[in-house]
Amino acid sequence: MRRITGTLALLLGLTALGFTYAAFTASAKESTVATSTSVDAAQVERGQQLYQTSCITCHGANLQGVLDRGPSLVGVGQAAAYFQLATGRMPAVENQAQMPRKEPYFTPTQIDDLAAYIQANGGGPEIPAAGLRDDSQVAMGGELFRLNCASCHNFTGQGGALSQGKYAPSLDPSTDEQIWGAMLSGPENMPKFGDGQLTAQEKAAIVAFIQNNKATIEPGGLPLGGFGPAPEGLIAFLVGMGAIVAATLWMGSRA
Amino acid sequence: MSTDQHAVPDEAELATMSRDEKATAGLAADHVELDEYGPVAVPGSPADKRNERRVATWFLLSGLLGLLFAVAFIWWPNEYVPAYQDGQLAYALYTPIIGATMGGAILFFGIGVVQLARKIFAHEVAIQQRHIGMSAEFDRQTLAAQVLDTVDKSGLKRRGMIKGSLALAGGALGLVAAVPILGALIKNPWAERADSPLWVTPWAPLADGTKVRLTQIDGTPVRPEDLAAGSMATVFPGVPGGAKASDAAVMLFRVRSDQVIRIRDGQQGFQFGDYYAYSKICTHVGCPVSLYEQQTGRVLCPCHQSQFNLYEGMFPVFGPATRPLPQLPIELDDEGYFVAARDFIEAVGPGFWENGKFPAWYSEPKEATG
Repeated sequence: MRRITGTLALLLGLTALGFTYAAFTASAKESTVATSTSVDAAQVERGQQLYQTSCITCHGANLQGVLDRGPSLVGVGQAAAYFQLATGRMPAVENQAQMPRKEPYFTPTQIDDLAAYIQANGGGPEIPAAGLRDDSQVAMGGELFRLNCASCHNFTGQGGALSQGKYAPSLDPSTDEQIWGAMLSGPENMPKFGDGQLTAQEKAAIVAFIQNNKATIEPGGLPLGGFGPAPEGLIAFLVGMGAIVAATLWMGSRA
Repeated sequence: MSTDQHAVPDEAELATMSRDEKATAGLAADHVELDEYGPVAVPGSPADKRNERRVATWFLLSGLLGLLFAVAFIWWPNEYVPAYQDGQLAYALYTPIIGATMGGAILFFGIGVVQLARKIFAHEVAIQQRHIGMSAEFDRQTLAAQVLDTVDKSGLKRRGMIKGSLALAGGALGLVAAVPILGALIKNPWAERADSPLWVTPWAPLADGTKVRLTQIDGTPVRPEDLAAGSMATVFPGVPGGAKASDAAVMLFRVRSDQVIRIRDGQQGFQFGDYYAYSKICTHVGCPVSLYEQQTGRVLCPCHQSQFNLYEGMFPVFGPATRPLPQLPIELDDEGYFVAARDFIEAVGPGFWENGKFPAWYSEPKEATG
């Protein structure tokens, strides 16, 4: 009996150690991508060449789209092109429920060239060059985030599930430009938030809230994914109860 | 304990017994005998002093942490500090500090008590004889007889008035306990008949006939050009308190102009061009549905995974919700802002018994869909 309780206590201790290790080794990657608004003919020319080698198969020779492969890009604008390319979603590997975020395939300069080419053919929303974030409006940004964004992206921007394999991604790796690009273009199943609906000041406030949220030290310790009471209760029950049982076994084995 | 009693000392014997002897006699009466008994360490020896210091250390730690808790709770900065500012770390440490100090104070006090029992209190091994089975037959029968005899002799059996009034008093005291909790639930939702808040939302035109504008949460009225195709805005009635009304939140959609949308019977013309307005309150238990997939037209409810299809007139396609989301009829006012043409034609939110049965409200079955 003593040996069994000792083994159980050891097992619980090792499991707890494993969780602690996993919590401290979770890494966050930062990717910074430059943007440029200076548009010239040479840049559009370079963008067209990149388009014709990498995008034309699915989006068509004249950006009109190809049935069952890719949508038309006429009028999607620089915001959509920048978002899709800078987050690595385009070029896509295959058609699936949703394009996952990955390392960008193109360099920042190439992304700007391609975005300039898309913008030059049909126009569309553009990410402004400056004023992307207003750190003085964190509170207003939080209110707007909870009303417009939190239903899918979660209160702390951790994302969540949608229907049939689709999901709202986590906002942790997103840069200011990428958040703006997503709001302006409404990538995949995300609704669009045009400037008439959320003004530039409101968008800057939302970006400030998201980035402030990421940079804030967790006052409660480990955030456990930021999903709220369900995982916190689960961990409190499993780890807390486990610790109590282990302590009881240990005390019993020493009595 | 009526049988096999130990010999009980009489008064004269008691007077001669020391306290130690009395304690031993008391234990013996309970069939307990001390097998081993003595101090853990020789009093005054180095081991004894070490034990004393150890126990005192735990209590000192506990007291220190308790005082630290009080100090931290009162004086440590607990006001929110946003990121990128100096006080961030101090603020973030507030919760862990008060948790660790209070938890530590309780834990160390517990350890101290255990150590006190193990290291300072006398070491003893006591053996108690086990009692087997239930009480003796004699004890059980006499006790039952006493209880029943008390009831009989009280005379309550033939005094119906006292019994009745006693039951009434007891019941009323129970009522006194229950009424503060349940009494607030007694309301008549039908007191206002057709104007009952179950049916009427702040979208109903005002008394002078003014139609209510669709506004953003800050009160900005919404125009058609504010929404791009493929977007969804949460709008509220442009009346005082509209953004806080629990039954008034509405999702305003603008779909692509080539999108085909099926309209439910009796709701033709509720939309304005490519703009559609639907209640945001789930018809299952009333959570806010707003996880809008703009490519599939699905609107998801986060609480129980109900899904509604905008392209099918907000018909429920998955999950526990059984009724479509009510549609708000919208049009433009003279200045080009969206207004609600009239209130919803059905009750918003979760179902209730009389839902769909109020005669003054509409004439066709509301479950009919097109």
